Amino acid sequence: MDRRDFIKVAGGTLLAGASCAYAFRFLNDTFGVQAGEGVQLSGRRWGMVIDLTRCRSGCTTCMEACRVENNVGLHGDIRWDNHWIRKVKLKSKHAAGEAEKEVILLCNHCDKPPCAQVCPVQATYKRHDGIVIVDHHRCIGCRYCMIACPYNARQFNFVDTEDWLNKEHPKRSHGVAEACTLCAHRLDVGRIPACVEACCNVGAEALFVGDMNDPESEVSRLIATNAVKRIREDLGTEPKVHYIGL
Amino acid sequence: MDIVFERIDDQAAQLRRLMIAFGVLAMAGLLATWWVVEKGIWVTGMYTRVPWGLQIVMAVYYIGLSAGSLVISGLYGVFGKQEYKPFARIAVYVAMLFLIAGLLSILTDQGRLDRVFVEPFVHFNLQSMFSINPILYIGHILICVVYLWALFTERKKLTTVVATLAFGWAFCVHSGTGAIFGFGARMLYESPLLPASFVAAAMASGTALMILLIVGLFKATKRHVDDELIIWLGRFLAVCILVVVYFLALENAYRAYVVELREAAIYYLFDGFHGALFWFGLGIVGLFIPMFILFRRKTGTSIRWIVIASVLVVFGVLCERYVIVLPGLTHPAELFPGMTVVGSALEEGVVSYSVSIVEVLQALGVFGVIGFLFVFGLRVFKLLPTEARALNNQSSSESGP
Amino acid sequence: MPPQASGSSPAGGRGVVTVILILVILTPLAYSIVSRAVAQNVDTAELFLERPDPKHQECVRDTEYMRFHHWELLRSTREEVVRFGIRGEIGLHRCRDCHTSRERFCDRCHQATSLTPDCWGCHYYP
Repeated sequence: MDRRDFIKVAGGTLLAGASCAYAFRFLNDTFGVQAGEGVQLSGRRWGMVIDLTRCRSGCTTCMEACRVENNVGLHGDIRWDNHWIRKVKLKSKHAAGEAEKEVILLCNHCDKPPCAQVCPVQATYKRHDGIVIVDHHRCIGCRYCMIACPYNARQFNFVDTEDWLNKEHPKRSHGVAEACTLCAHRLDVGRIPACVEACCNVGAEALFVGDMNDPESEVSRLIATNAVKRIREDLGTEPKVHYIGL
Repeated sequence: MDIVFERIDDQAAQLRRLMIAFGVLAMAGLLATWWVVEKGIWVTGMYTRVPWGLQIVMAVYYIGLSAGSLVISGLYGVFGKQEYKPFARIAVYVAMLFLIAGLLSILTDQGRLDRVFVEPFVHFNLQSMFSINPILYIGHILICVVYLWALFTERKKLTTVVATLAFGWAFCVHSGTGAIFGFGARMLYESPLLPASFVAAAMASGTALMILLIVGLFKATKRHVDDELIIWLGRFLAVCILVVVYFLALENAYRAYVVELREAAIYYLFDGFHGALFWFGLGIVGLFIPMFILFRRKTGTSIRWIVIASVLVVFGVLCERYVIVLPGLTHPAELFPGMTVVGSALEEGVVSYSVSIVEVLQALGVFGVIGFLFVFGLRVFKLLPTEARALNNQSSSESGP
Repeated sequence: MPPQASGSSPAGGRGVVTVILILVILTPLAYSIVSRAVAQNVDTAELFLERPDPKHQECVRDTEYMRFHHWELLRSTREEVVRFGIRGEIGLHRCRDCHTSRERFCDRCHQATSLTPDCWGCHYYP
């Protein structure tokens, strides 16, 4: 066997071996036994209503509660600080006398999420109950979801978070994308999200999270009886965070 | 017409020095990537509002440069200009290298290098351009391998078939790369023209690179190439530049005209570093001066001037890639029409981005890797023809000076 | 016949490559054989996994299964929790109820088998 044949055989074996490894993993993950097969899905569709008329100016209770609950990283630099929920102060461009307005911004958990559409590994996806969530075990950190989100609601772990404020809940390590999960870990066991709980605790009661498929839930009732608006509805992403008083 | 292909056997010492230089660059890039993995991606200067930086710019730039092979293989494979066949081997090899460079640039930019070799290839999302594009790139690399095999084993029929396939597939590759941005929601990205404009700029930069490669390699190895071949490529480059100008004018005219995008268009064209890059780096240096050089009869038929124009175009298209990627990120999303943001925990307005040394080192590292492979290929494979003659000059079998 | 491109004669070049290949392939093998032989002569204690502090009646699976398949169990639980939101009996926090120390339980086997699961960067397990 001369050098040429050796290279051909070696290269071919390497290629075949690698292809087999990938193919095996791909087939197993796509067609093998899936987790959650035969699981009874709840039929819920989580939505949120934010009553801006009750939101107190200058109050940041929801932001702090979210940070503590979810171990969201603060690094002392506005460029890399993560805020899953934040307040934005707005001023009208036209009417000079109009007062400033404070709006709470967070991931809208769209029904047609552009972030889930562009995630190359389906690490960001929409759960059956409508929550758009990141599987941090699969995220490769390409940051395409951050580009695709028209609401700038997504964050990334550019810096490793050292603080671990809530040890009952995992934090994210460096290199994965993240966004508000609507406290899915709380909703799954029947509790309410941290921001909603904190807002109630201070007496403002401006945040509501509930099942939009249930006509009796608070959220459905609020949507039906108030003039609710969503941010940039014209984009067609069908956001599920509704605002009263926007 | 018998073309003899050869390796570069002489000048071994110079080639070895080149390989060492490229190797050093590659090591620098590796160290820079290690630094990024160790310290955190924040050292690259990217942050929440600007999640993509120089690496993505270089990735799309390298992919665009691989269009040189598209041009050459299209010329003889699809349009039958046989006098360009001598360049096919080097063109396809270089295209393969640039695709690898593009993939490497994207790869070293990911947040989790421990997963990026596995997850994207076992979990696909065909709705995502980031999932479709690696399929296109790797497919194109495989087509190039088959193409090279067809060229090396002199299978004429297979060569024509693969050349046509590569031509079409390359169009998909470049359109797909443009679609990463063009199909995105940002005000300065979303455009159906972006994939087409991307193909045009890719062909311009690819042709310019081919001209530089051919003239440079043939001169350095004292091989003869007929001036006519280069002059024709120069004219083709001039047409490519015209197409690029057309697409750029159209995109920016649309954005400036439509009320919704007007403010963003003015930001794109006149604000900050990228505004200067657009007008001077791209407009004047990258497009207008080369066009002027190539369309004037005296300079358009001089190899020296064509080479100058090609260098300017290669530089200009790099500026164009920067201007495609960054302003779309530094410009804010319009969340509340009619309102201005006066306070927030995050940066909500226009932000700035500057290239960091780490990113430059990473980019140089990728260039070092493909440079090394390029010189290696020249020494090991028979890539260069002994001479390249125009159609009306084929009868002579002696290689002239 | 045109001269070969490589600098040295074909036979000499092939010999060098063969020797290098043999060395590259055999070194890891030789290393493991030698270190094993060396280890035989050293007195090492058997792996001691800390007995659980039972807050629950029994583990979710029996010892034999856990010894070899706990990763598969964790992975399928992970998919169910993250992708479907089904939180049941199994979870790292529940393992912690009885197996209170990662150092004296999980890490011992993982270190002995040279495994470094990267769970602990995100999941709390002291």
